[in-house]
Amino acid sequence: MEQAVHLDGITKRFPGVVANDDVDLAVEKGTVHALLGENGAGKTTLMNVLYGLYQPTEGTVNVHGETQQFDSPRDAIDEGVGMIHQHFMLVDPMTVTENITLGNEPRKWLGLTVDSEQSRKQVRELSERYGFDVDPDARIEDVGVGVQQRVEILKALYRGADILILDEPTAVLTPQEVEDLFRVLEELTDQGKTIIFITHKLGEAMEAADEITVLREGKNVGTVPADDITREELAEMMVGREVLLDLDRDPAEPGRSILDVEDLVVEDDRGVRAVDGISLEVRAGEVLGIAGVDGNGQSELVEAITGLQMPDEGTITYDDVDRTTDSRRERIEAGLAYIPEDRQERGLVMDFDLVENGLLGSQHAADYTSKGRIDWNHTRDHAEEIIEEYDVRPPDADAHAKSLSGGNQQKFVVGREFARDPRLVVASHPTRGVDVGSMEFIHDQINALREAGRAVLLISSNLDEVQSLSDRLAVVYEGEIVDIVDPERVTEEQLGLLMAGQQPDAVPTIAADGEGNR
Amino acid sequence: MTNDSAMDRLLSASGRLFIAAAAFLTLAVLAGFGLLAPASTPGQIFWVLASKSTLSSTLRLSVPIVLAALGGIFAEKSGIINIGLEGLLIISAFAAIFGADATGSLWLGFLIGIVASTLLAAVFAVVCIEFRADQIIAGLAVWLIALGLAPFASQVFYGGPNTSNVGTFDTITVPALADIPFFGALFDASPAVYIMFLAVAASWYVLNRTTFGRWVRAAGENPKALDTAGVDVSRVRYAAVLLSGVLSGMGGAALAINIGQFTGNGPTMVNGKGFIAIVAYLFGNYNPVGALLSTTLFAGLDAVQLRLQTADVIAVPDSLVQTIPFVAVIVVLALVGKTRLPEAAGDHYESGEE
Repeated sequence: MEQAVHLDGITKRFPGVVANDDVDLAVEKGTVHALLGENGAGKTTLMNVLYGLYQPTEGTVNVHGETQQFDSPRDAIDEGVGMIHQHFMLVDPMTVTENITLGNEPRKWLGLTVDSEQSRKQVRELSERYGFDVDPDARIEDVGVGVQQRVEILKALYRGADILILDEPTAVLTPQEVEDLFRVLEELTDQGKTIIFITHKLGEAMEAADEITVLREGKNVGTVPADDITREELAEMMVGREVLLDLDRDPAEPGRSILDVEDLVVEDDRGVRAVDGISLEVRAGEVLGIAGVDGNGQSELVEAITGLQMPDEGTITYDDVDRTTDSRRERIEAGLAYIPEDRQERGLVMDFDLVENGLLGSQHAADYTSKGRIDWNHTRDHAEEIIEEYDVRPPDADAHAKSLSGGNQQKFVVGREFARDPRLVVASHPTRGVDVGSMEFIHDQINALREAGRAVLLISSNLDEVQSLSDRLAVVYEGEIVDIVDPERVTEEQLGLLMAGQQPDAVPTIAADGEGNR
Repeated sequence: MTNDSAMDRLLSASGRLFIAAAAFLTLAVLAGFGLLAPASTPGQIFWVLASKSTLSSTLRLSVPIVLAALGGIFAEKSGIINIGLEGLLIISAFAAIFGADATGSLWLGFLIGIVASTLLAAVFAVVCIEFRADQIIAGLAVWLIALGLAPFASQVFYGGPNTSNVGTFDTITVPALADIPFFGALFDASPAVYIMFLAVAASWYVLNRTTFGRWVRAAGENPKALDTAGVDVSRVRYAAVLLSGVLSGMGGAALAINIGQFTGNGPTMVNGKGFIAIVAYLFGNYNPVGALLSTTLFAGLDAVQLRLQTADVIAVPDSLVQTIPFVAVIVVLALVGKTRLPEAAGDHYESGEE
């Protein structure tokens, strides 16, 4: 088959760092090729070389069999290479059509005026040709992330791309949107386009790609067909050592109840009952998992339990003390740790360094203050302990949070929260968007808390995660708990049906006392 | 998120509608009094409002504000907040008179006013775009520079803060149409008034229908999107800021030539019009037509205020009557609530930065 892309011996050096070290990459035309690796493995750098954002220190870029010298993305676009960045480059108040044609607008009247009829027609044709379901007149700010991503793909296609690079395309998508994206990719390759997508998620690479190239520390570890390799083998290639994807652990020995939620009702901004009468209990030494499609009340449930939002009805009890109306501060002081679902929005202040970020949530604690002033020496020691213990890289307490990779940001947040020695941990999507090494580490930490007799409430849309970490698994649908099941014995099919609000047969339910019908 | 933005749009639209409805209702009530009881106080106010000279002074007062507001729209839409509009008006007002005086032609003076304002805007653009200065501080500097420079130049050339009188534009009068009650004022006006209307229409068209307008909007909302689409963001922003200089220059020159001289005492003859222009385009939600309408509201109140002072209709001290337009501005701003600023307004943009 014809090679669409052939990178030959690419080396890219930055001052002090070798981001890519003699990397070869060959991509067949009309296939989906996954570029897999942990954060910092050099995947994005390599693709930026192909896209003309960086010039390689050594090596050559061949596109469609010809050696190319790309000095800027313009050159790459001219040769039919398009890139969809992780952060979309879209103008929110403009329409889909305006965004797709931006900078290349069809014109009329001596080139003075945008020919909006023509633009709309071109966009509609393009969208139909690839089976994209996109309304050309919708405003970007009114459409979901999945559609925005398709607009980005259309933008590249509109500019004549036949090789598409997608940088972590699934990071911002819900599982349903991921399915849609993969269908779109299939349609594109059927029509002869070539796709390279960057990811750190094993499952996605195996599901969507024809071939997988694994990068580790800037080197190509190997290219394998997606069909005949196992998750374990891929994980080992990525990390360079054996990775335990399945946790081995003792059965739970739950103690007394730590968190008790009764008949909780939380209304969202629009007055809809996002949480509609949920009761649950988390006991010392167990992990209660919450599974469900995003947007079925998980966020509101977490906010009510952590004190970010006051419930409209019901009670929340920690350790037999009613804390329904307590403030965040009172709840933290009562021994609550919270790993928020969006670390950049709620977990960290991106412009603060790690010393300052390490203090967040403890700013009232006597250990960190003296006479109304912050004890910076102690605060710094604290941050350095977290960095050391949780293997945050780079190990520099003065680094700003925004300079860390997602996985390291998350490790720092987890470290800070767990360092409070909490009695109750609420972990919301604790490994969303982190690499496999950090994921394993965070899972180990959650397990360690469980072993130490803490109570953990784990919310995740990653089924593998909730299934492997939880002792009991509650499935939510439209603000209610459909059922509480035994995570070890429930099948994926049953979970899928439960998450859609149905009640399949023979579900291994489990009662609050842990006995159930095992 | 999607619902929020739709909701915001609805709310801000309803605020504007509410103001328009309130203004219309007041007018209708006053008209009732005017027709039924012309001698009563509200009746007298109505006849002041409905007079041709009120409209004609409204238009005259509107010209500099509307033109400056149009300039402000272009700059801010492209991501550069230009609060130096006041300074651009001042410098062009003086330059126009000085130019007219030197060349003996009002139209050449008008042109020289535009050039002066554009040059000052260019300095502002370089400072903001090339040297990444804070736009608010640079804008204030533009105002302060003009506020010092224009009266000083007047002092040098004319020996006082006020220049000599160079005369005014002849009004353009359309026969017959000019005799229509009230609206006749539209057909018996200074060329500057017609320039204003043309500029509003042209600005709307450029912003909404041309590629340049689209690039300007993209530069202010998400410059990176524009950059990756292969358009030079800095060039678009330079063009937009220079355009704000040209438009404000027309406004300042028209203001001065309308009187025939430049007066440079205190806040100068511009007297806050550049700042009212900012309010006008915010209230008009960055729409040139909206800016025109909101300006006519303020200028209309100003014109009425002036007439009420002389007409002695109501027994209220003049100094209170003078506050009417400013009170109206505050009320309007409070009611409009959120105007959605361009996302990247006030931010620097450097190509190739992460």
